[in-house]
Amino acid sequence: MSRPRSALLLVGSPRGARSTSASLGGYLLERLAGQGVTASARFVEDLPSAATQDHGLPAAARAADLLIASFPLYVDALPAPVTRAMEAIAAGRLQDRATGGRRDFVAMVNCGFPEAQQAEVALAICRRFAAAAGFCWLGGLAMGLGGTLGGRPLGQGDGRFGHVEEGLDLAAAALARGEAVPERAVRLLARPIVPPARFVAMGNRYWSAKAAARGIQDRLRDRPYQR
Amino acid sequence: MHALLLNGATRDGGYLDSVERHLEAALTGAGWETDRVVLRRSKMAACRGCFGCWIATPGICVIDDDAREVARLMVKSDLLVGLTPVVFGGYSADFKKALDRSIGNILPFFIRQAGEVVHARRYPYEWRLAGIGLQERADPDEADLFRRLVARNARNFQCSRAGATVLVETDPWGKAAAELTRLLEEMGVGV
Ligand SMILES: Cc1cc2nc3c(=O)[nH]c(=O)nc-3n(C[C@H](O)[C@H](O)[C@H](O)COP(=O)(O)O)c2cc1C
Repeated sequence: MSRPRSALLLVGSPRGARSTSASLGGYLLERLAGQGVTASARFVEDLPSAATQDHGLPAAARAADLLIASFPLYVDALPAPVTRAMEAIAAGRLQDRATGGRRDFVAMVNCGFPEAQQAEVALAICRRFAAAAGFCWLGGLAMGLGGTLGGRPLGQGDGRFGHVEEGLDLAAAALARGEAVPERAVRLLARPIVPPARFVAMGNRYWSAKAAARGIQDRLRDRPYQR
Repeated sequence: MHALLLNGATRDGGYLDSVERHLEAALTGAGWETDRVVLRRSKMAACRGCFGCWIATPGICVIDDDAREVARLMVKSDLLVGLTPVVFGGYSADFKKALDRSIGNILPFFIRQAGEVVHARRYPYEWRLAGIGLQERADPDEADLFRRLVARNARNFQCSRAGATVLVETDPWGKAAAELTRLLEEMGVGV
């Protein structure tokens, strides 16, 4: 096992620092820093493919010993700009083959639905990215109901997220040793924060309240593109 | 009946453009009307994750660019045919961008279906989804992942029929054409 000296977090949410992706990734990064890993973070931007290649992000991603991608589940997979960034990172593989050395990759997905397993395809895509880009796959973590965290930082004593913090603590300890995230961390992150049956009513009230706050509750079901 | 061909190929004149022309001819021959969008030529920003298409301007994305027209064409269509290179087992960024920008076509409200939470439909129409992936080299595991992704999308978009195929650039054209015919038949297009 080789211990990573540096870690780079890629935040793949367009909501940037206010995203749940940033909350989860930021917490993991802090824990890694606490174990002596030099940690930094970057946000994935919406760039055309040529600009993505020239952007510093692919080179930075390849320079880190440990790359962490934290992103929201979008339409069952990665948000488009994350795919674009991953393609650029993988393309760099040929350029720096000579430098060698092991690079690790871990992925974190948070999704809106309660079932973390809805992110299973997205994590499988990440695993294939790791292989294509020459990274060692150290596993994937998926969290349901990411909206309940809503971009607030973890570690503030909110009991609802205690198991998420515990899972990330376990993951950070393993990653700092150059090991894959343990199964228990995967299970803790995937534990539903609210039972799905209760969530449906809760979630629906949330959207109605959001619309009411804008005075458009009776327009929520509009069909602007009706045939 | 109406079909939308959404082409997520990264370059002009490649294999997927031939597939698109082939499908258009087949659909027209079967009496379908078609619309085509070549996404690499579209002006389309990535989704901002603001949910404005649900709670600010319901059903319409707050960003005024080509994604609005693509979303409108999706609603107009009985069948969406997606053409994309297979990227790590998933879609190209261009194709994915169009999908990410289309969530205004469903409602924010949740329902439970087959043991999972999904969003309720905004429009009452039946909707079919066909995913066509292209690999440079045959990779059965990657092709399998692509098909799983299409099946997942079909479930969350509540499509009445869905299917996928993965073509390989080096395969003879006859093999690809037969596969496309099979997929169209699966989608209920009499060819
Ligand atoms: C365009 C778009 C597509 C989405 N698709 C899904 C989906 O397929 N499954 C799901 O569970 N959540 C989906 N969501 C919900 C987000 O994953 C969820 O809100 C997440 O917590 C956002 O995380 P962030 O704050 O890191 O951006 C989608 C959200 C958007 C904006």
